[in-house]
Amino acid sequence: MGVLHYFGAAIGLGLIVIGAGLGIGKFAAAAAEGIARQPSAADKITGAVNLPLFLLEGVAILAEVFVLLIVLMK
Amino acid sequence: MLLNLILFQQEAAPAAAESAKEAAKEGFNAGETIIEHVSNSSHEHPLLHLPHVFGIDFSVTKHVFMMWLVAAILFVVITWTVRRYLKQEQRLPTGLMNGLEAVVEFIRDSIALPNFGAKWVMTWTPLLLTLFFFILGANAIGLIPIFDVVAVLDHFVLHTGPESIFKQIIHGGTTATANFNVTAALATITFIAIIIAGAKAHGFVKHWKNIVPHGLHPLIYIILIPIEIMGMFVRPFALTMRLAANMTGGHIAILAILSFVFLFAEKLGGAAVGMGVGALVSVPMAAAISGLEIIVVLVQAYVFTLLTAVFIGMAIHAHH
Repeated sequence: MGVLHYFGAAIGLGLIVIGAGLGIGKFAAAAAEGIARQPSAADKITGAVNLPLFLLEGVAILAEVFVLLIVLMK
Repeated sequence: MLLNLILFQQEAAPAAAESAKEAAKEGFNAGETIIEHVSNSSHEHPLLHLPHVFGIDFSVTKHVFMMWLVAAILFVVITWTVRRYLKQEQRLPTGLMNGLEAVVEFIRDSIALPNFGAKWVMTWTPLLLTLFFFILGANAIGLIPIFDVVAVLDHFVLHTGPESIFKQIIHGGTTATANFNVTAALATITFIAIIIAGAKAHGFVKHWKNIVPHGLHPLIYIILIPIEIMGMFVRPFALTMRLAANMTGGHIAILAILSFVFLFAEKLGGAAVGMGVGALVSVPMAAAISGLEIIVVLVQAYVFTLLTAVFIGMAIHAHH
């Protein structure tokens, strides 16, 4: 069963994408709702959303790097 | 966009020339080609052999050369622009100085000022500007396939010898920030800046005492101190990997799509299939992903700078 780690990497990658997608989607939804309730605060909301968005994306990319390590280093 | 397409066809051409030689032997190895186009040039054959100092090899590889190139370009452009602006009778910013001033003010007003407070903004903004422009330059220069143009020129026009600088300089990727060693060096700058900022603001000993919040039950500190120390190291590590992986990922995606041309040509026989796939699928998709890559380049430079500012601000304003 020398290919088992490929399965693990593929499943892991899928889970990462689900996790990142859900997280960023929730963020975008909350931001859109906030701007809809108070359009004058649009700038502040965008600024507040920016930082956690990229931190979350960073987490996803970090996890992808580890998955790549699994594939490349047997 | 049209220039992008033309340059991409030129990027495919030297890969075609190279793999035409290898196709005679072993066929197109997509994985190998992609990895070669993203990683550094070989350590055994650097661009310029320099001696070992204290066991560290100082030879100039492709990524080192690209870092120097970016630094030289930034230095020349920015110094020349600002000097020309300062020499004017009335200081009216025009052209490049206008754009430069807009970017500098954006960083100072929306990244530096909210995080540092008015007292420390002039101390730490130069560091943020340096990081931002260097990362932006090093990221962006990876999108310009100048060395593929050089390779085509060399192969079809110049025909230089096997040891010439043209043949040596085309190996390896152009994006220095795709190399996690380079981004680790930038993150080390952030790490040291955080310590210096805390020491300047509160004194060296008090900075370390400020890492954990005060006034908690003593038993909690047993868990809290190791967690905070780990956090101190994990944040620069995350900065490193975020920048390196974003840059590498974009380039791998573009190269993989362009590899379809050669894979289809090999499996389905004939260069015509390869060119058809290229024209209909590969080049448009690669051009689209390059457009996305431009956004990623800007955003990653902004995020690195923003996070550096946030961490330094956390060290300065540690008295919750």
